[in-house]
Amino acid sequence: MVPPQKYTARLEEKVQHNDKFAQYSFELLEPHRLEFQAGQYVSIKVSEQGERRAYSICSTPDNNHQFDLLIDSTPGGLGVQFLQSLEFGSEIEVLAPMGQLVVPENLMVEELVFVATGAGIAPFKSMIEDQLRNKQDQRQITLHWGMRQPKSLLWLEEWQELVEAFPNFHFHPVLSKAPEAWTLCRGRVTDCLSIHQLPTSAAYFLCGSKAMIEDTTNVLTQKGVSKELILLEKFY
Amino acid sequence: MSTQTKQIGKYKVEVIRDKCISAASCAAIAPKVFEMDEEDLAIVISQDGNDDETKLLAAQSCPTMAVIVTDTETNKQVWPPQG
Repeated sequence: MVPPQKYTARLEEKVQHNDKFAQYSFELLEPHRLEFQAGQYVSIKVSEQGERRAYSICSTPDNNHQFDLLIDSTPGGLGVQFLQSLEFGSEIEVLAPMGQLVVPENLMVEELVFVATGAGIAPFKSMIEDQLRNKQDQRQITLHWGMRQPKSLLWLEEWQELVEAFPNFHFHPVLSKAPEAWTLCRGRVTDCLSIHQLPTSAAYFLCGSKAMIEDTTNVLTQKGVSKELILLEKFY
Repeated sequence: MSTQTKQIGKYKVEVIRDKCISAASCAAIAPKVFEMDEEDLAIVISQDGNDDETKLLAAQSCPTMAVIVTDTETNKQVWPPQG
């Protein structure tokens, strides 16, 4: 992997998906190209003192002159406050690329299964699009994404486009506070995984809170998935 | 509170294990200084594997400020800032 280095980038666009999630697009200034792998993250300097916060890149590596981040505004911490204070054209300092949660080139499995909760979807947006569109991965690729309510879901048009364009891609949103009319999975992602037959010749990518990672890992191992095939990124 | 310390050059780094949440950003930035152990917690494997600037960046990247940087020439804590 390319070792991380300092970059400066400029805020180009901000899309408010809903009251919880916003997508920030940054144009790279110096250096003006970032070679990264889908699934990696950036570390942004968020205070004059030098404090940093990490955010996964949700855009794909083929667009290497910019990167997009998905920000969950609800924690309201230092990083969110910094990003929300940015005006268009503001410059930031980042360290990138960082992180090990990528789809290994030589991964000898028949399927890829992605399990995310909340903003843990961000690296998977990049990884799934990269596998399907850029790498023409023909393996079965399944995404289980846990959220609370329908209004918090995002990129629904993009997911639908992928489902229609790639028959090997399967999208399973799971809602813990689903309305009565909701016909798909209810509860937590672990509830959804528990009731489904899981492929054992698959790699499982997990991204979410520490509790979600632990619970999901337990469910997977109880269903016979080898720990070596569980790759994860913890969000806090 | 347990800490792990090793002797160094100018900047000495320490990991406060109780604060480490396995984000692994320190190991990503300064892989010759930090490593994740079998408990998936950061440990210091060398004080001179990366330069001082890189060690400071690694400490600043920690979301819980679990990495302490001390300037051994002045004996002052460089990170996290005090006061």
